[in-house]
Amino acid sequence: MSADPVASPPPAPSDTRPLGMTDRLRSLRAAWTSGRVRLPLREDHLFLLLAVIIGLYSGLAVVLFRISIDWARLRFLGSALAPSWPRVVLVPGVVGLVVAFLVIHFFPRVRGSGVNQTKAAMYIYDGYIPFNTVIGKFITCVLAIGSGQSLGPEDPALQMGAGMASALGRGLRLTREKLRLIAPVGAAAGLAAAFNAPISAVLFVIEEVIGKWSAGVLGAIVLAAVSSVVVERGFLGEEPLFRVPPYHLVHPAELLAYAALGVIGGFASIFFVKLVAWARAHLKRLPRWTQYVQPALAGLLIGFIGIWFPQVMGAGYVFIDQAMHDQFTWQILALLGAFKILSTSLSFTSGTPGGMFAPTLFIGAMVGGAVGGIEHYFFPWLTGSVGAYALVGMGVFFAGFLRAPFTSVFMILEVSGNYSIIVPVMISNTIAYLLSRRFQATPLFDVFSRQDGMDLPSMEEQREETILRVEDAMRPYAGPFLRDEDRVADALRRAEESALNFLLLPGANGVWRGFRKDTLQKLVREGKGDMLLGIAVTEKPLPWVHPDQPLEVALREIRDLPLLPVVHRADFRKLEGVLSLSDILGAYHAEARREKQEEPTADGGG
Amino acid sequence: MTPTDHESTALADARPGPGKTSDRDAILLLSLFGLAILFTMAGVAARLFHAKERSLGQEWYARGEADLKAGRAPVAIEDFRNALAYARDDPFYRLHLALALAAADRNEEARAHLLNLWERQPGDGTVNLELARLAARQGKTADAVRYFHNAIFGVWPGNPDEARRDVRFELCDFLLARGLKAEAQAALMELATKLPKDADLHVRVADLFLAAADYPHALAEFRQALDVSNRNEQALAGAGEVAFRMGDFRTARRYLDRAVRLNPQKRDAAGLLEITNLVLALDPQARGISARERAARVVRAFGLATARLEACAAKRQEVLRSAEPDPEIRLLSDRAKQIRPKVKERTLARDADLLTQTTDLVFEVEQVCQQKCEPATGGDLALLLLARQRGGAEP
Repeated sequence: MSADPVASPPPAPSDTRPLGMTDRLRSLRAAWTSGRVRLPLREDHLFLLLAVIIGLYSGLAVVLFRISIDWARLRFLGSALAPSWPRVVLVPGVVGLVVAFLVIHFFPRVRGSGVNQTKAAMYIYDGYIPFNTVIGKFITCVLAIGSGQSLGPEDPALQMGAGMASALGRGLRLTREKLRLIAPVGAAAGLAAAFNAPISAVLFVIEEVIGKWSAGVLGAIVLAAVSSVVVERGFLGEEPLFRVPPYHLVHPAELLAYAALGVIGGFASIFFVKLVAWARAHLKRLPRWTQYVQPALAGLLIGFIGIWFPQVMGAGYVFIDQAMHDQFTWQILALLGAFKILSTSLSFTSGTPGGMFAPTLFIGAMVGGAVGGIEHYFFPWLTGSVGAYALVGMGVFFAGFLRAPFTSVFMILEVSGNYSIIVPVMISNTIAYLLSRRFQATPLFDVFSRQDGMDLPSMEEQREETILRVEDAMRPYAGPFLRDEDRVADALRRAEESALNFLLLPGANGVWRGFRKDTLQKLVREGKGDMLLGIAVTEKPLPWVHPDQPLEVALREIRDLPLLPVVHRADFRKLEGVLSLSDILGAYHAEARREKQEEPTADGGG
Repeated sequence: MTPTDHESTALADARPGPGKTSDRDAILLLSLFGLAILFTMAGVAARLFHAKERSLGQEWYARGEADLKAGRAPVAIEDFRNALAYARDDPFYRLHLALALAAADRNEEARAHLLNLWERQPGDGTVNLELARLAARQGKTADAVRYFHNAIFGVWPGNPDEARRDVRFELCDFLLARGLKAEAQAALMELATKLPKDADLHVRVADLFLAAADYPHALAEFRQALDVSNRNEQALAGAGEVAFRMGDFRTARRYLDRAVRLNPQKRDAAGLLEITNLVLALDPQARGISARERAARVVRAFGLATARLEACAAKRQEVLRSAEPDPEIRLLSDRAKQIRPKVKERTLARDADLLTQTTDLVFEVEQVCQQKCEPATGGDLALLLLARQRGGAEP
């Protein structure tokens, strides 16, 4: 903090007595209360500083969140990885009742996906997320995950980060534009700390929440993510969520094995999405009173599964780690994957607060490990360790289930710290992603938002949107090709031969000017027929566009001009074609008609 | 209040205007103050939680140790797994989990954990040793040898020289158990160069050399042990045995005699001494004896050999239930009958060819009888040893 030299007046010349400490504090207080002293921060700088503060808050919140979950687990289920069966059966159910009560009566907004709620804050509520959502998410998720519900802490951490960012932004009276952006900044910070993976968090928020790269927000997101991870590591240690086995490609043909993993993982993730979407839609339709018992019943069922497979309870990072280090046979891995799909579907669709990131990674690791185990059984000379398949499997599910292909690749790179795994990861993830897109048209988060009666922008749809370009609407120039050195009378004669009324005249340095035919006629009438065209025509230069530019650029540029020149990017004097407003609108109409014809059956995802 | 209400309230004041900047600064400072409080809370919580994790890890580890000692390996495995859940990167817990898994014959799982440790600390002596033991148990000789060598050159806490020596001993035991004598000899020679002046260690190495059939080195090691402690019974008995096997019966008698005098209860040494004395008493080719004595020894040996041949022939007939004796034995019997009248001390002392012929026959009889009948004992054993020694074989 520093005093503004302009705002703080110098002491009066007559006052020569040296100022004591008390006097200085008094004057500073007076200056502060009168607003003459302030932090010399512009809005942009404040936004970046705020990103760091949000990152620190999010990191600390995540530290407390994770510790609380672990404490809760110790209290509820004991310290053994395989708790005694009475605890396993009873605890998730009983705690589920408490969670349902809290959600219904105190924190109704904590239900559902934090990603969607952050998007809603950004696109609908101008960045507003009530702070009691943060508190509610913390308490209910600690209880739910700590009691063994098959959910993870990442999505809640993301939402808590967004909520804290929103509260700080409101407190600091940021502009509407900045307030909208501050929630994703907090979301990235929360996710980064929860995953202990800043790059993945930044990418995920860009890919799934914001949907576009913008230098302004990117800097803030990176700052927030990095500061939250620094705090988280400071308190909880440098260790990644799971220790990754060493990886090397045994043989180039092993890539086929990874492709098979992509196919199997892709179909498994489609099944998971459809199951969750179907069950959520059906459970939402049940009478309201059932919301009191849905989490408890889900907990009870998970408890029964937990008698034989306690690994499915909670986030399950310990068991992901074990799967990556060949601690399970492929049969057990396959069963764990299947039961985790079931238990996570039960937990999430019952309205129990918690996230799906950790379960997604868990299922991916188990499915990947199982596929790797089978392949290793049949082709032992061809395939590497089962752990490597478990690692790639996580990325496969991330790509297929959460439909975040970029994040899925970088997440595996970030957690493994091994660049050589990139080829298998890219192959498997791409296959899973494409299969998922093919058989599940609507991404999971969009399914949820539509089930909740919202139409949040779908980042995937935006990515896949067909962009109409200038070249799709332009047509050849049908007028005479005039030059500056042509005489006006000659130009008029040539213009008369053309049906076009608006003529283009290229000038030096790629400047294009346009004029109507009657301008030439008027010049001839005025006796200026012998003048050079370059001198006689005084119209302002025309804007121009290039063939590859989006059509909306042309729409913006054309204003009330009859024609817009489309010029070559490397030679501005070379005319590629022209555009009129009717050409542009015609292209849009044609595209709309085409889309209508190709429109698939609406997929609400159950 | 709906979100929109909140939003409008918040956004109504959202524009920074005159007089609001200091509010903003105050909130910024408040937020920093809030951060300080949260930092403190997180610090306390993290410290308490880490302490709890450590104590839980230790508790489960102690249980695992107790269960493993009590032979309840499957329970110990779960205990160590629980311990690891609270100290994921603790190599000590992971090592013990691997040991418990190995004890429960879950070798692949044990190997996975050990490899995990190895990846992080490829130079760790203990991990390499356990991997070697596991590979040895799984019959993967090449892997076992590789890990044993890694362990020998690995990092050891405490007393690394002693630990490395123990690994070398284990490697030698393993190689000898696998019948890889040449590799064992190489490893033993390496081990022998690193030994301190400790009679027991020299005896141990010498025993291994003996097992690897490297008698000169074995004898050298026993002698080194005796240099350190010249009344070491094991070294004396061992040196005697090695000398005996090398066919140096005089040296063998010297060591064995001392060993038996030091400890008359040492039956192996006493038995060997008895045979050695017989060998030395019966050896017709011993240097420094008179021709008469040589002839007397051959006559005695001939008597022992023919008696054994007759007994053996009778036994063979009995065993084969045949009226006819074994052809090879019959042939030898015929030759013995033919030569018997001439086998007199006086005759043999004069006729060197006859002496050699008789000696050859004696050795041949003993070797054939050893193949066809019961193992030789007493004087026959002594003659057999002499026969083998002359044939260039190990006594």
